[in-house]
Amino acid sequence: MTCEQAERDLDAYMDRELDAERAAAVCDHLSGCAACHGRFAERDALGRMVRGAPYYSAPDHLRQRVLAGTTRSRSMRRVLTWAAAAMLAVAVGGGVTLLRSSSRRGDAVVEQVVDGHVRSLMANHLFDVQSTDQHTVKPWFLGKLDFAPPVVDLASRGFPLVGGRLDYLAGQPVAALVYQRQKHTINVFVSPERDSTAAPSSVGSVRGFHVHRWLRDGMSFWAVSDLNDVELTQFVDALRAP
Amino acid sequence: MAQRLFENTVLPHLDAAFNYARWLTRNDADAEDVVQDACVRAMRFFSSLRDDDARPWLFTIVRNTWYSRASRRSTAREAALPDGAVDEPQDEALDPEERLMQQHTVARVRAALEQLPVDFREVMVLREIEGLSYKEIAAVVRVPIGTVMSRLARARERLAAVLKLTTVETLR
Repeated sequence: MTCEQAERDLDAYMDRELDAERAAAVCDHLSGCAACHGRFAERDALGRMVRGAPYYSAPDHLRQRVLAGTTRSRSMRRVLTWAAAAMLAVAVGGGVTLLRSSSRRGDAVVEQVVDGHVRSLMANHLFDVQSTDQHTVKPWFLGKLDFAPPVVDLASRGFPLVGGRLDYLAGQPVAALVYQRQKHTINVFVSPERDSTAAPSSVGSVRGFHVHRWLRDGMSFWAVSDLNDVELTQFVDALRAP
Repeated sequence: MAQRLFENTVLPHLDAAFNYARWLTRNDADAEDVVQDACVRAMRFFSSLRDDDARPWLFTIVRNTWYSRASRRSTAREAALPDGAVDEPQDEALDPEERLMQQHTVARVRAALEQLPVDFREVMVLREIEGLSYKEIAAVVRVPIGTVMSRLARARERLAAVLKLTTVETLR
């Protein structure tokens, strides 16, 4: 590693943001180069100084005010929730069923879709197969499911495919495809649709997550994300386009 | 019940929220107003919180609250530096002379940090004082990770220059 490279990586090294291999290379360089080591020691001392800067703790009267304030805003929040629901109902309209008002079964599955999404993020179990290559992800599902989920990369549209995994929805094994939009993760669950009366498409949101569902070639697709609904709709449109 | 959950999830991070707001606004009164407004907003958007990241999530709301207040009163960003004494952390194990030196250093670092442009100041505070990862900072500040890195590097260069300069001046 050259001094130039070491200098470029110095901050990330200090902040422990380098991967192990690169960190080892920087460490190696520092042990053999007095100039770079000096720079590192300087930065390190600076970091310690900044960490010694005053920490401003919340004063007690602020804590009291916050507690009082959030209690008061509860009734207002309920009003807002209803207003938002009414707006959504107006905005969505024609051709699309609102998941919230559809059948009980639909409701339960939407909850499970959101739960599946949250679980995948929380348990650090986003992928069984991590790849941006649709030709790696698609064959991975072979032999694990009794259907072949269509896998397309949408990197050119700003939604790169990042991997896939097996998941369960309503007691059925499903394919979960994982896409990324900046820091947001989009899970797409795919499974054969056995309910012939299922609505062709629907949208909704649960606990701040947006959910889109649609049917294609006898399969149900569920897209779920915390991404804003405008971008999620773009994503769904891109995915549904033939 | 939601209230209870909110109190258990968000209020543990009230100090962190206040610290961040205090570094953004550089004065107690504005920081208190920002945090109070932010908590009301946090309550309203509580459903958008995933279980594991209440602190950066709250930082995001604090920042948005501060930003919308600051842009309403565009002067807020350039508010005069307060010159009142604050409670500086003290190390009881030090003798009086060392303690004086330490207080001097803390005051100098604080002044140097406060004089940084807010874009640089906040990444320093989030990284060094709150210990957020680049990814978390990027999410709070809503810039790409590369921008976080370049801001951090430039903030450190500036701080190092300012602090070195004052040392030289002190020695003269």
